[in-house]
Amino acid sequence: MSAAASDDANESVRLIRDSAAAIAPPGGDTRRIRALRFQDPGFDRGVWGTMCEMGWPGLLVAEADGGSALGMREYCALAEQLGAGLAPEPLIPASMAARLLSGADLAALLAGRHLVLPAWQERPNSLDTVGDTVIAGGKVTGRKCFVPMAAGADAFVVSGQGGLALVARGAPGLSIALEQTQDGGNFGTLSFADTPCTMLAGDMVAALEPAALATAAYLLGVMDRAFALTLDYLKTRHQFGRPIGSFQALQHRAADLKIQVALTRAGVESAAAAIDAGATGALALAAVSRAKARAADAAMLVTRQAIQLHGGIGYTDEADPGLYLRKAMVLSNLYGSAALHRARYAANAADQDD
Amino acid sequence: MTQDLNALTEAEFRIVVRKFLADNYPENLRNPPKRLHWRDNQVWYHTLARTGWLCPGWPVEHGGMGLSAARQIALTEEFERHGVARTNDHGIVMVGPLLIQYGTQAQRDFFLPKILAGEHIWCQGYSEPGAGSDLAGLRTSAVSDGDHWVVNGQKIWTTLANDANWIFLLVRTDPAAKKQEGISFLLVPMDTPGITVRPIINLELHDEFCEVFFDNVRVPKANTVGEVNKGWTVAKNLLGFERIFLGSPKLSAHALGRLRALADRMGAWDDAAFTDRYTALRLELEDLKSLHATFVDIVRRGEALGPDVSMLKVIQTELFQKITDAMMDIAGENAGLLEPMEGNRELHPSGLFIQARPSTIYGGSNEIQRNILSKNVLGLPG
Ligand SMILES: Cc1cc2nc3c(=O)[nH]c(=O)nc-3n(C[C@H](O)[C@H](O)[C@H](O)COP(=O)(O)OP(=O)(O)OC[C@H]3O[C@@H](n4cnc5c(N)ncnc54)[C@H](O)[C@@H]3O)c2cc1C
Repeated sequence: MSAAASDDANESVRLIRDSAAAIAPPGGDTRRIRALRFQDPGFDRGVWGTMCEMGWPGLLVAEADGGSALGMREYCALAEQLGAGLAPEPLIPASMAARLLSGADLAALLAGRHLVLPAWQERPNSLDTVGDTVIAGGKVTGRKCFVPMAAGADAFVVSGQGGLALVARGAPGLSIALEQTQDGGNFGTLSFADTPCTMLAGDMVAALEPAALATAAYLLGVMDRAFALTLDYLKTRHQFGRPIGSFQALQHRAADLKIQVALTRAGVESAAAAIDAGATGALALAAVSRAKARAADAAMLVTRQAIQLHGGIGYTDEADPGLYLRKAMVLSNLYGSAALHRARYAANAADQDD
Repeated sequence: MTQDLNALTEAEFRIVVRKFLADNYPENLRNPPKRLHWRDNQVWYHTLARTGWLCPGWPVEHGGMGLSAARQIALTEEFERHGVARTNDHGIVMVGPLLIQYGTQAQRDFFLPKILAGEHIWCQGYSEPGAGSDLAGLRTSAVSDGDHWVVNGQKIWTTLANDANWIFLLVRTDPAAKKQEGISFLLVPMDTPGITVRPIINLELHDEFCEVFFDNVRVPKANTVGEVNKGWTVAKNLLGFERIFLGSPKLSAHALGRLRALADRMGAWDDAAFTDRYTALRLELEDLKSLHATFVDIVRRGEALGPDVSMLKVIQTELFQKITDAMMDIAGENAGLLEPMEGNRELHPSGLFIQARPSTIYGGSNEIQRNILSKNVLGLPG
């Protein structure tokens, strides 16, 4: 990247962070998040509309198609900010769908009129997007699971043997079973029986990559904020007549957590920069896997320790550390667990001797 | 008890326990997803009381089963295998052993039968908002007024205070003395005027612990355990019992069983890295069981537990957490579910993972246990 291009990117990352902060105030109030938990659909449609007005689901979409044609750096900055504020709106899956739609369908999604979410997964711990689902003759038959925030979707992009298809929520033969998730959202299991659909041309496998990387960035925001809360607590909570942060055991713990946050940030930013600079194929897969593997493990570690270091109050629902832990529990294994991404990294990274 | 259970072989003993559970344990209470309240577990408590199986570790002369350490462990394992729920057991595990050791004859005669009958359900009022790890910094006060104490202050994190009708309390009776030296140990009925209980929702989204407020609560001085201003010594001895209880392999054994079930369901055994991780956890559990048995034997011989019992608490609780971490790692997206997978209570990685969190916080946090080990066992300076 030239110096001028890099300055532009820094400037647009800053702008994105500022506008995200308006919706998901970092260090702000979690009342909005709490009020939406365990309710249908798990997020605020009004806020989703605002996010669409800001052009967020179209961040990576070409300008000719109504998007802003920004890069992974901007997308990751946005996701990180939303993670810090625990925003439940389904930006990552909707952005994934945006890469698979075109024309009027895409325009309706970007305008916030029609929420389309991808349904690609058939078993846990897998990035296989095809599975046993059959798409043929304008009909879909099969079963997809773990569709985040399915409760709020108007339509689904479905992948299977025979390609990719768009299915309306109310289509005959589609039944949706919802399960609540620890963070207060939901996963949908979709069963299709000869369900009418329209064919699409997109590539579900390719669309998973930005989603996996943005999830790593979101987790970075989650752990960064959980760490900040904890650091504050170490400075303010007193026992034995001293701030607990003065005990060396806790000082070392905090230093170790900071190292994990820093490693995650480095991994996410380097993957985003590599992809923006044109990395493709095995190189891009390895970069995304490195970021996601670290983010998943580090987010669990940091949020677990946030509970531990808060003591009894950390184990209450009224204190905020638990909200961050629950978010990490839901997102760490989404779009591939740490172990899955380590294996994928090993299969795609360049030989160490090179 | 008509049979001398200690005289049986271990295998015979286990058969007796299994038959006892098969005949007596309510099917609908097997493997509850969250800790049961008294309203749900009292049926079982009363069954244990009626059959004489309530207090395996208490001596026979006080109404217990007088089981040897090995038998107690076998009993716990069989209860575990059957999915037996925990009862409101503060009286059984803490108050009973405490009074047997430190109570007056009158206190034993009054309280032990009530615990055995399920009439007194106890909770533990130690922690305060400002006094958690630094328990000796507690401020709830008891001021002498004739033959009563007048108690004012607040306790917090009091497990199942919303079920209990008695609370054992640490209170400050001499504000002028050095921290540990002005504390007394009181037994207080929860229906005394001036006590208010407010449940707190925990991370399981369950009302398992509470705040307890004391506003001019009058407590008879006869309800003091041990000498006035010597409550810290009493409490410290109780902490020994608590640590041995918290160091029991029960929770980890339960969790390992769940990990096994989950691994079956997820097809994780084909993964060599998982199999190795599982085996390491299993070996650690076996080592913990052996170590635990040596401490249980000390208690049975009537000897005092040393500060090294802190090891048990550290190992058990961290093993429990490592097992649930492994569950989260293999569960894939199921790790994020609020409810058990497929409606099967035995497949609930996220639930057990959350349940494992506080074990390293309560009963003296693991940081505090490590401080004890490094100072009082290893004699390191500082
Ligand atoms: C589920 C649950 C049930 C409980 N039930 C009861 C009950 O029934 N009755 C009761 O009385 N209490 C109960 N407790 C309270 C429990 O004993 C306290 O939470 C515990 O002692 C820690 O105190 P705290 O919460 O004030 O945390 P703090 O003492 O404020 O500790 C915060 C963090 O600082 C660390 N820390 C503190 N001091 C040091 C130090 N010197 N060196 C290194 N690290 C340090 C701690 O380890 C912890 O990580 C319960 C707690 C929980 C979570």
